[in-house]
Amino acid sequence: MRWVDIKEGFKEFLEEFKREKTGIAGVILLVILVLVALTAPYTTMPDLPTKWRSSAYWEDNPKNVPPSWYNMFTSQKLVPQQIYYVDNLKISHPSDTETVIEADYSFPEGYYYGPQGIIIRGLNVTLKAPSQAPTMDIYLLRPDGKKIPLLKDKQLSSSTTISIGRDSAISTNVYIWMVNVTEGREITPFEVPLETILISDMVAPMFAKVEPGMDVEKIIENPEPLWGDYKLILEVKNPAPKYNQVDYSNIKMSFLGRSYGTMGTDYLGRDLWAGIIWGSRVSLTIGVLVSVLSTIIGLVYGVTSAYLGGNSDEFMMRINEIFASIPSLPILILIGATMGHVTLWFIVVLLVIFGWMGIARIARSMALQIKEQTYIEAARALGAGNGRIIFKHILPQLLPYAFAVIALSVPGAVIAEASLSFLGIGDPSAVTWGQILNAAQAQSATTKGYWWWVLPPGLGIAVVGLTFVLIGTALDKILNPRLRRL
Amino acid sequence: MGYLKYLVFRILNAILVLLIVTFIISALFVKVAEESNQSKMYEELMQWERTEGAKIKQTQGIEAFEQAKAAKQASLEEKYELNIPYWEKVYNKAVRTLKLDFGTTSMPIFGTNNVSDIIKVAVPRSILLFTTATIIVIILGLFLGVRAARHAGSVFDRSLSIFALLTYSLPMWWTGMMFLLIFAFKLGWFPLSSMFDPQLTGWEHVKDVLWKLALPVFTYVFVVFGGWAWTTRNIMIGTLQEDFIMAAKAKGVPEHKIIYGHALRAAAPPIVTMIIFALLGSLGGAIISELVFNYPGMGRLYWVALQQNETNLLIGLTYFFTVLYLAGVVLADMVYGFLDPRVKVGASAKM
Repeated sequence: MRWVDIKEGFKEFLEEFKREKTGIAGVILLVILVLVALTAPYTTMPDLPTKWRSSAYWEDNPKNVPPSWYNMFTSQKLVPQQIYYVDNLKISHPSDTETVIEADYSFPEGYYYGPQGIIIRGLNVTLKAPSQAPTMDIYLLRPDGKKIPLLKDKQLSSSTTISIGRDSAISTNVYIWMVNVTEGREITPFEVPLETILISDMVAPMFAKVEPGMDVEKIIENPEPLWGDYKLILEVKNPAPKYNQVDYSNIKMSFLGRSYGTMGTDYLGRDLWAGIIWGSRVSLTIGVLVSVLSTIIGLVYGVTSAYLGGNSDEFMMRINEIFASIPSLPILILIGATMGHVTLWFIVVLLVIFGWMGIARIARSMALQIKEQTYIEAARALGAGNGRIIFKHILPQLLPYAFAVIALSVPGAVIAEASLSFLGIGDPSAVTWGQILNAAQAQSATTKGYWWWVLPPGLGIAVVGLTFVLIGTALDKILNPRLRRL
Repeated sequence: MGYLKYLVFRILNAILVLLIVTFIISALFVKVAEESNQSKMYEELMQWERTEGAKIKQTQGIEAFEQAKAAKQASLEEKYELNIPYWEKVYNKAVRTLKLDFGTTSMPIFGTNNVSDIIKVAVPRSILLFTTATIIVIILGLFLGVRAARHAGSVFDRSLSIFALLTYSLPMWWTGMMFLLIFAFKLGWFPLSSMFDPQLTGWEHVKDVLWKLALPVFTYVFVVFGGWAWTTRNIMIGTLQEDFIMAAKAKGVPEHKIIYGHALRAAAPPIVTMIIFALLGSLGGAIISELVFNYPGMGRLYWVALQQNETNLLIGLTYFFTVLYLAGVVLADMVYGFLDPRVKVGASAKM
């Protein structure tokens, strides 16, 4: 082929491709996908894969909550995440030894529960006289004028993190307060039923109606929301301000939402949106790499086999059959599981090893027809070698077919990678859709109804698959009008 | 080449491939088993050293201890077959597998240790689920595909194509997870787990099984039938353009007869091949789908075997799948040769 011919052919092909609506739709989707994958570090965060593994990094996020926009579809609205830094807080100093920090939290009408929890961190304390360490009291002032004492005389150190909702001492205090309001009596912490404190949601009652005469168990079980403005008050007492200093400039108060971000969170509080975006990188890379490599290997193998003919063909086809008859997924699982450390490259190699056979068979049957044509005979008579005939004369004939095959085999490769990751055999240093689904399955997200955790990764896989199927069928129609794939 | 000769050639060929594959999987699994046995042996030896060994060391001195340890190690090596060279083990394993002697598992599954019995329990369950679903898919796919081909370009044809392309890119197990969410969790129509209730018998058992099968079958049909319909449509459109159809049309043969009598028969070979592989493939179950639905068939069994490192069961199952696949290849070749006489004399005569 001459350069001019290629140029002409390409122009013609483009003209035809423009007429294929599905192909155009596929190309548009592909461009969007590639853009999303390339810009992932800028649109989310630059080093998500390393952070994805550390549960500590996601501690300030609510766990297992749906996305914020879900509120549009439900009557029971779910409060979003709200974070207070030093600028959003009221800090006053009534005396030399006292500091009061107030956070105004409004619980608007129509929302079903209050926050999932409250996390306070970032109080930097320099201790020089440990015997006179600063202490802190925490109260929640409610719209009905009641004040819940959450913590009393908590000793502060630099690593102090207050976690309302996850701290059983605070839950105990809430329970004691509720009994006090409803029944008017004081109970000791030992009278508080431990299972209730550990199992039930003790934050929702703090933002619910608690009146004299009500039953505590019923409030915990079915809290009635009390809307209005709340105040979380931190009273820090520093008896020796000269020796021990408390620095408030890094303070961070997170009122954990009952909904979060664009895609909600998983069981560790990880932002699923970021995970989905990053997952596209692996999916696209593996899908394209595996299909390109296995198509190339399959084509060369099939054509060589057909061209050589005779015993070599016989031998090569037996090898092909052996590979084809080994059940691939179990073997892949076995190899992955025994290798222990699996990298993305290794997965690509495995999928290629078990993915080239079908293409080789079809390529062989096509090459059998081509090789009988006279110009091959002529080339051989002129003294062309086997390699030259295979690579110069037969393979180029199959190239158009190859492009369609590459596009059409991407979905299979993407699903295969996702399946392996889903089974827990994936590159642990990468974030992939299969791994997100694996975590969802392990935490039985489906039987708990966490749809936001299961739906998006699968949709991602489906969209990548659809993109390439659209392009592949369009290519197939244009390039191989007579070759109908079975 | 005559039909019989062709057939014998294909069968011999399949047997040869089966022999080689059996050796390959034996080599692979024996290697894995050897590694795990090695660590098991060392663990047991350490255990012995801490208890009995320590006693011998205290009472009879270090020399007696060394002797006892060597004896213990030798007996353990015999127990875990570590004293036999690797290739001998592979050979033994492969020969036993070919004789269908799969051995036993270390932990009982389905109440038995015998690998053959375990497979016999799991196979009917996978057949029940996937073969039922495959049959539904075939009927639905063929019917809709032929319909779409007859009215190529219509709204029905186009929506079927779009549906097929969409479902082609869906992982079946993910669709299963979604259906579990919608139909089992949200609407509560189906159970969340498809594990059978062992206490029920008679009619109650049948009802229980049917109820638990419904969602997996529906999922399978939903994901697969679009592709079938689409492929059937493409094959049919190709055949409908052939000269003999034109001739039949010109002769005034009724359309119904052209479609089902002439065209479908001509398109039969590839469709029959697809049916054979789909039915045989259905016996294997789908590992992940069965995991998602918690269905106690072949696929889930494979997963359990992998998790518990039951090498004998793994070899048995893999052998079973391989035999099935090769039987399918031979069967497909047979049918192909039968339906399309060109196969035996054309290019394949040189195979």
